[in-house]
Amino acid sequence: MKTGTVLRSLLGVAFAAVLFALPAQADTLDDIKKAGKVRIAIDLAIPPFGMTDDKMQPTGSDVDLARLLAKDLGVELEIVTTTGPTRIPFLQTNKADLVVSTLSITPERAKVVDFSIPYADHPSVVAGMKSDTIKQMSDLDGKKVAVVRGTTQDTDLTRQAKGAQLVRYEDDATMALAFASGQVDVLATARSLLPAISKKNPARTLEPKITMQTFYLAIGMRKGEPRLLEWVNNWVRTNLQNGRLVAIYKTHHGVDIDPAMLLKAGG
Amino acid sequence: MSYKFDFEFLAERWPDFVAGAWLTIQLTVASIALGFLVGTVCALARVYGGPVLRRIVGVYVEAIRNTPLLIQIFIVYFGLSSLGLKLSAEVSAIVALTVNMGAYTTEIMRAGIQSIQRTQLEAADCLGLTRLQTILHVVLLPAMERVYPALSSQFVLLMLASSITSQISAEELTATANLVQSDTYRSFEVYVIVAVVYLALSALYRFALWAIGLVLFERRRRLGTPL
Repeated sequence: MKTGTVLRSLLGVAFAAVLFALPAQADTLDDIKKAGKVRIAIDLAIPPFGMTDDKMQPTGSDVDLARLLAKDLGVELEIVTTTGPTRIPFLQTNKADLVVSTLSITPERAKVVDFSIPYADHPSVVAGMKSDTIKQMSDLDGKKVAVVRGTTQDTDLTRQAKGAQLVRYEDDATMALAFASGQVDVLATARSLLPAISKKNPARTLEPKITMQTFYLAIGMRKGEPRLLEWVNNWVRTNLQNGRLVAIYKTHHGVDIDPAMLLKAGG
Repeated sequence: MSYKFDFEFLAERWPDFVAGAWLTIQLTVASIALGFLVGTVCALARVYGGPVLRRIVGVYVEAIRNTPLLIQIFIVYFGLSSLGLKLSAEVSAIVALTVNMGAYTTEIMRAGIQSIQRTQLEAADCLGLTRLQTILHVVLLPAMERVYPALSSQFVLLMLASSITSQISAEELTATANLVQSDTYRSFEVYVIVAVVYLALSALYRFALWAIGLVLFERRRRLGTPL
């Protein structure tokens, strides 16, 4: 490669960086109303939160929540399909206004995005096959454990199960495939996922072995949007109290979430 | 929205990037070497082999060159594992990249072999070289010299394409980038860094290939001119 070409490409990168850095003062809540649509990032590969039905239409508890939220905002819903690792970058680069995608509240994430009050709880577990005798983290030593890269399970296991060999996949579907094809026998994931994975592989039924920790799912948005945050918080509070969010969870997960506990956790 | 660049995480995470780049180098050097061997043998089979052999190699080349690399990698990693042959992510990556490299090398080397003039073969015949000697000294090396630029490009392309193996949990450079990005949320910075590292790796590969060319091809070394 010639030096001139390299210089020119570097100039191009620098120019793109300047474009990115240009400030644009705006209020997202106003923008949403003005555009008449809200762009919500949802991962459609995490049943039963986000998935596609047999007619290839988006469905799931996060999708229903997003639809309800858009309706109450009085705007159209535009679903921005995302994946676990790209959820927060989509917010940061203004490709989405909100993230409703099994996003659990963590201190690290709170540094870069704002969270609403929680709308559901979300225990994560280490799961294995019935025949596996895993009881604690040290039982994972030397075992291959599948996780989705960048999830809280990934971060936790990296710290807590130093002897385990973590195998990182890009999304839940790939991780489930790795389990189905026998590449891994143990995985760390949300408890809510286990029934779906087991249903597809009757010969390899998963059961929860270790409960890692319970997270609270919340709606994520860019920092510095006090009006949007306030609106979303009020909306979550109202719909937990009137039972509409509880109904959505019952439909898709078959469990009752406890509004009183969630409202207490949200302060 | 304003964006502030923040490269602070590098102080802590640079060993991860080095480890990722090192695995990328290992994966691609192994696949390039093996793929080149596979491709050269297949090219010879395609030019000098019988009709059945030629047809088999033809099917291999077309099947690989007309399907996405990602699908080939998934077939090796998930497909073989479903059949009971469990290969680790790294081995699967090398197998898939080798098979891919082999198909492209076959076509490049075939072009080189077919570019050798018949008079050269006749001369070799007159000098009493055996068939093996002719292929080694009169056909293969000059053929390789002629297609060396195309080969080099293909090798560098493979190095860049190896980023796809992050999808099957091989912890190479792109996987490292995704991991660091998901820990620090500095996605823009992370991918800029990784792009620069890939650029440096490409330069390194091109330099290495140029040096290898000098060692292999006397004409280049002595006269500095290509064939």
